[in-house]
Amino acid sequence: MIKFNKIKKIYHMGTQSLEALSGVSLQIAAGEFVTVMGPSGSGKSTLMNIIGCLDTPTDGEYFLEGKNVAGLTFDQLASIRNKMMGFVFQNFNLLPYATAWENIELPMLFNGKNARNRKERITELLNEVGLLKWKEHRPSELSGGQQQRIALARALANDPPIILADAPTGNLDSKSGVEIIELLSRLWKKGHTIIMVTHDDRLASHSQRIIHLFDGREAD
Amino acid sequence: MITIFFRNLVRDLMRQPLRTILTLSGVIWGTFSVILLIAFGESVGKAQTKRFHGMGYGIVLMFPSQTTLPYKGFQKGKPIRITPEQVEDIPDKVSDIEIISPEFVRSCRMRYERREFLNTVRGINPPFELMRNIIPAKGRFINPLDMKEKRRVCLIGDVLATDLFSTSDPMGKSIFIEGVPFTVIGIMAKKLQNSNYNGNRDERCAFMPWTTYSALYGDKYVSNIIFRPLDFNRSAEVTQGIKNHLSKLIGFDPQDPDAIFVWDTLEMEKSFQTFFIAFNIFLGVIGSFTLLVGGVGVASIMMVVVEERGREIGVKLAVGARRRTILFQFFIESLTIMLIGGLVGFAFSGAVVRLVQTMPEAVTQFVGTPQISPLVAVSSISILLLIGTVSGFIPARNAASTNPITALRK
Ligand SMILES: Nc1ncnc2c1ncn2[C@@H]1O[C@H](COP(=O)(O)OP(=O)(O)OP(=O)(O)O)[C@@H](O)[C@H]1O
Ligand SMILES: [Mg+2]
Repeated sequence: MIKFNKIKKIYHMGTQSLEALSGVSLQIAAGEFVTVMGPSGSGKSTLMNIIGCLDTPTDGEYFLEGKNVAGLTFDQLASIRNKMMGFVFQNFNLLPYATAWENIELPMLFNGKNARNRKERITELLNEVGLLKWKEHRPSELSGGQQQRIALARALANDPPIILADAPTGNLDSKSGVEIIELLSRLWKKGHTIIMVTHDDRLASHSQRIIHLFDGREAD
Repeated sequence: MITIFFRNLVRDLMRQPLRTILTLSGVIWGTFSVILLIAFGESVGKAQTKRFHGMGYGIVLMFPSQTTLPYKGFQKGKPIRITPEQVEDIPDKVSDIEIISPEFVRSCRMRYERREFLNTVRGINPPFELMRNIIPAKGRFINPLDMKEKRRVCLIGDVLATDLFSTSDPMGKSIFIEGVPFTVIGIMAKKLQNSNYNGNRDERCAFMPWTTYSALYGDKYVSNIIFRPLDFNRSAEVTQGIKNHLSKLIGFDPQDPDAIFVWDTLEMEKSFQTFFIAFNIFLGVIGSFTLLVGGVGVASIMMVVVEERGREIGVKLAVGARRRTILFQFFIESLTIMLIGGLVGFAFSGAVVRLVQTMPEAVTQFVGTPQISPLVAVSSISILLLIGTVSGFIPARNAASTNPITALRK
């Protein structure tokens, strides 16, 4: 489903340049639960962003379901992010002034679902993450764990096949972290492809396979 | 889709009331100040012109004086004496005169019952009414029959009327001018007058037929001539024509600069008009700068507001918003704010203008009655609208044109 061929990412800062990914090749099949691990600065987020089509590689080829992503337009990429990917960030990235309900609704507004379907789906998702009571609350009125569960519900809004979670538990206490991982495992059992970044070996043990990154390369 | 869009628009604007109010107030202030500046500038100008026209419109005054050049055996220093009959005869001899009147002036005691004042009496003929803008609020001006029969009738100024009669109606009553009874046949409408000659302003004068005046006081020679030329642009030539005619009639050098002193208000009118053209240019420049400052203010608010929303744009891009959806959202948002702000600013300036219009005359006499020029209102609102919308659009476009991660880092 996901195929990387010698993906490079170089950041330019003034005269300096930094190779965050130096030729990563990997494959992830549909329905896999993969964990990406590695020390800080090894390029995990960079890798996730490229998989999630939030960022573009400097060099190399990325095939998503056999299609070369490099050839896609801005709007086609937007459509992929909207329908195929659900991204969960370490720092949640919820809209601060919108309620939990409205945050979950956001991806659906961009694919033209009608009001009744949206309402059903949001209620279903809030139930799934156990936060129906909190639907009118803003992110600032929720705990970190609750915010991350709302973010996960938002990622699931359009029922995308791939869930990308970049250090979803990084800002959470261990109990909330375990809740998130359990939610992800449940989604995997339902058939979603899960790709997750974590520093925690115990959390990584939920997954089928671990990709180790070191200095922008796959290490093993 | 459209309803979702507008519901979201209203929601987005309501979610951050402070931001919305700040942006709005910038736009409101910009529109408000430009529209009011122009409205007041114009009305002050008009009020001053009107006050200037209070003395009269399109008139030339000629005051007989003394010769300063010897002429045909006469020494210099000869007084110029002109009779009212000679004055009324001038239009037959000199062309291009619309109307003309002799004028006699003296100070007289005027009495009604116990009240007595020393004021100015003017002996004149009927066309004086038009030349000097003496419009009767009640009754009428002197007419040809009054002239012919040398009637003891007078029209009095509005201030003189209240001085003598306080609240009672002067019409048809007799007032005593130097002990001689005169019937009041008219009262002058209140007017603004910022220039004058010989004696009180018109509001304190009594106007009577010059025939009555000279029969009563025995004056043979006029204090001045007042006329209006047919063509305002040719006032100087017509004046010289009258001088030439009189010089033959009375005997003085037609080139004598001081034999007859001339006050050509049309000359003043020209310089006055030049002044107002300059004044309007000045207003235009100030107005444009106000608009510019308002525009810069609105632009910077919009830019800051939109730049602050880089993360919002990033989040929306990350969950799959297309670029044009985001741009359309920001465009409509800016447009809505600018439009509401512009209309509220317009309404505020309208309210202020209304307020001034209802103010007492003591105020409106100087500022006039300001009026909102639709052209100024529409153009300043649209200029601010354009500036605000573009300056909100550019940072939004920049944010929406990068990849989502860059937008999210903001
Ligand atoms: N926008 C950027 N501009 C410049 N350098 C960047 C940028 N983003 C990441 N980097 C650099 O690229 C390298 C990889 O960063 P990345 O965020 O992928 O690391 P990571 O493995 O996710 O680290 P962590 O575990 O701390 O999240 C780091 O050295 C980082 O400093
Ligand atoms: Mg990271």
